[in-house]
Formats: sequence, structure tokens, C-alpha cells
Amino acid sequence: MPGRPPALHVRDVHKSYRSRHVLRGVSFDLEPGTLTGVVGENGAGKSTLLRILSGQSAADGGEAVVRGTLGHCPQEAVLNDCLTVAQHLRYFRVAYGLPDTRRAEELLEELRFGEYRYTRAGELSGGTRQKLNLTLALMHDPEVLLLDEPYQGFDWETYLRFWQVARRLRERGRCVLVVSHLAWDTGRLDRLYRLHDGAVRPWCPAPVPEPSCGDPASAVGAEAAR
Amino acid sequence: MRTARRRLTTAVGFALLEHARNRLALVLVVFYIPFWLSMVHWFVASAPSRFLLRATGRTVTVDAGRLTMISGAVNAVTLIVGFMMFMTTFKSLAFDRRLALAGYPRVPLLVAKVAAMLLASAATALYATAVICWYWDPVRPALLAAGLFSAAVGYGGIGILLGAFLRRELEGMFVIIMTSLMDTMLQNPVSNPGASKDGVQLLPEYGPTQVSVAAGFSGAVPYGHLLLGPLWFAVMWLAATAAFGLRTRSHLTKAPPLPAPGRV
Repeated sequence: MPGRPPALHVRDVHKSYRSRHVLRGVSFDLEPGTLTGVVGENGAGKSTLLRILSGQSAADGGEAVVRGTLGHCPQEAVLNDCLTVAQHLRYFRVAYGLPDTRRAEELLEELRFGEYRYTRAGELSGGTRQKLNLTLALMHDPEVLLLDEPYQGFDWETYLRFWQVARRLRERGRCVLVVSHLAWDTGRLDRLYRLHDGAVRPWCPAPVPEPSCGDPASAVGAEAAR
Repeated sequence: MRTARRRLTTAVGFALLEHARNRLALVLVVFYIPFWLSMVHWFVASAPSRFLLRATGRTVTVDAGRLTMISGAVNAVTLIVGFMMFMTTFKSLAFDRRLALAGYPRVPLLVAKVAAMLLASAATALYATAVICWYWDPVRPALLAAGLFSAAVGYGGIGILLGAFLRRELEGMFVIIMTSLMDTMLQNPVSNPGASKDGVQLLPEYGPTQVSVAAGFSGAVPYGHLLLGPLWFAVMWLAATAAFGLRTRSHLTKAPPLPAPGRV
């Protein structure tokens, strides 16, 4: 939407670790209602960038401004192994100041892990931990969403559902930034950047064959799952 | 006010739940304390031993077996509570940071950890006192429990500090075990004939040991020494809290949201 202030404004962000200059002037603006990807090789500085955008690290220079509430899904699932899924939702409901966990319950059903509601995080599989990790980032319906390799450990059906969720967030005017080391599924994104040599630039990778159309019913393995 | 209370009760509830689900610590409390004190009862001879009770300013001659049982109880509660607090701080550091960045105020998170630690320390100290009372009758059992409680609290603070700074579980467990063992051995005249030398006052278990020995063998109530364990806790906790505050602050600039016309 032209003329609207960006939901996420990043201007000339620099970050070094001792003599290693990881980010050398990262700049981009993301408007509300956009689904954006940032790809980069291992060690390109994707996690450093996300740490700065989520407020966990301070940039050495430049600025990053988030307009509205922020949701952050870290690459490694940050959970408390002693607490159940339901207890995680209660804890974060209080953190976000929500009146209820309705949105989280919807996500539980949508990502199909409601049956683990009373299971401790320490006993969940890697994929289910990641579902909970994602739910905690989404449950307050944030205006800006930062997702670091959000589909790690997902099976094919969950992976497709993740993109359905992301698409709906975009339709509702949310700004979604997905960071990944792989540039696949670029067709699902409105915009794609590549983080290389400490800076981001718009990127258009070589065309790849479309996956089997994004419909879980026709996905490879869907028959077996039924 | 209601919101603040809900934040505090939620954080306290989950902090307690975390301790209750720390099976190793529970096993240690239930079995290690009676096992260790029973070993002392059976193996340490009840010869007379001279102990400089600085709390009363005089040297007392006491039963070496009973003195070692008090030392053993101090050692056991410090190990258990120090280990519990190290593990809970160490394991929940990233999770607490996520909660704080999500908007959970730091104060209730920190207060919850302290409240859970105080309860765990009280339960452990009472249990250790009960085991001692099974074998002999200390002069002031309530004061003995208070002495053990102050020892547990002091090492709880050390555990929190270690959990905030160390990066591996093994490092923290090793430091707590070695510190507590050295601390205990240096103050017991049975294991260290030079236990009355100056300098032991600087050790974390000094105050609690003085209080516990006074409770076991005299009618004195050394209030000043009773505060040394909590003082150790306060210093360690403040350092850990400063680190927690620095690590969980948000560096992000936030702007008010725009009305989103596409919302449903």
C-alpha cells in the first residue's frame, strides 16, 4: 500500500563481533500486509540481524523500528521443558496481557497439536516443539512477525499449513518476515532479499519447479497420512 | 493491582512447579540427607572436639560425631539448594529472556524464583533438622533449622549467580560441589585442626555453621550470624539480577501501530 509508513523500518544497521564485521549497512522497509523472505548462506548474519530486529542485541550503528506489537519465533525452540503446552500458553497469555488463549487454541488446532496440550515440552518431538515455539510467537496476533527458520522439523502437511497461516496473516495486514538459509518456496513470498557480504539486496533466484500446488490433500505422503 | 498479582502468582506457581519436577533434586533431598547423616552417625567416633564458637566468643568442647552431623547437614542442604537454583536459573535463562521480551515484567519473574527458593530451602532445612533430631536432641532444634535454612539460602544465591554466568551444566555442578565441600571441611575441627584460624569468617557457610553449632550445643541465639547466610544470598542475587536485567532489556525502537484496514 503506497504512502503508508513501514511496519518494519531498518536503516543502515551495522554489527561487528570483534574484528568480524557481520552486518555492513543493512537497510529495508516492510509494509503492513507483506510476506517477505531473507535468505543467506550459513554464517551470513541472518540470526544476528534477527537478534537486532527482535531487540535482543543492540546494533553498533543504524536503526531498526518496529511499528506495533512484535512476535519473534527463534530458530531454536525456546521453551521450558518442565511445563506443559497448556502451561506455556498460560504463561505467555500473562506476558502478552491477553484476556484469554483463544488465538493460541486456534493455532493449536490449525497446526494439529492440540492432543499434546497436557504434555510437557521436554517430552515433545522436535516438530511439535517447533509448533509450540511458533504458537508462542503468534498467539498475541502481532503486527510484525519475525520467523527464524520457522518450519524446521515440520512434516510436509504442517509445512503447508504453516504457509496457509502465513498467507492469512498477510491478508489481515500483518508484516511477516521469514528468514531461512534455503531459497525455496520463493513463489509464496511477496518479496525476497538475500543477505550477502553484510548487506541485503532484492534477489530473484533461478526459477525452480513449483511444488505440488500447496494443497495438503495432493501432497506427497498425504495418502499415507490418511 | 490485579494484573500485578496475577503476574506474580503465575510466576511463583510455575517456579514452584519447576522445582517439584526436578526429580534429581527431590531424590537428593529424600535420600541423600538421611543417607549422609546416617553415615556420619555410624562412622564418625564420638570423641570430644574443641570448636571455637565465635557466636558466643568461647571455645566449646562437643561430641565430634554430632558436630560432624551438623557439618554434614549444612553441606547437604547447601549442595541441594545450590544445585536446584543453579539448574533452574541455567535452564530457564533463555525462556525467561523470551518471557521478558514478550512483556512479562522482570520483577515478578525474579521474585518468583526467590519465593520458590525460600520454600525449597525451608523444606530442606526442616527435613535435615528432623533427621538430626532422629539421632540426638539438639539444644535448640528450631534455631538449628534456621541455621540450616540460612545456609541453604546463601548457596541458593550462589547457585543463581552461577546459573546466570556459566555456560555448561557440569561447570556449575562442579563449582557448587567443590565450594560447598571445601567450605564445610575448612570449618569443621574434625577435618581441619586449624578451623579456628581467622579467615574462615569469609566463607559462605561460616554464619550458618556458627548458628547451627550454637543451636546444637548451647542456649545462645547468635542473631548477627543468622543474617550472614541471607547476606551472602543478597549479594549473589543482586549480581545475578543485574546480569538478568542487562541481558533481557530490549534494544528495539518501537513505534505505535497503524490502523490496519485489511483486518478481519
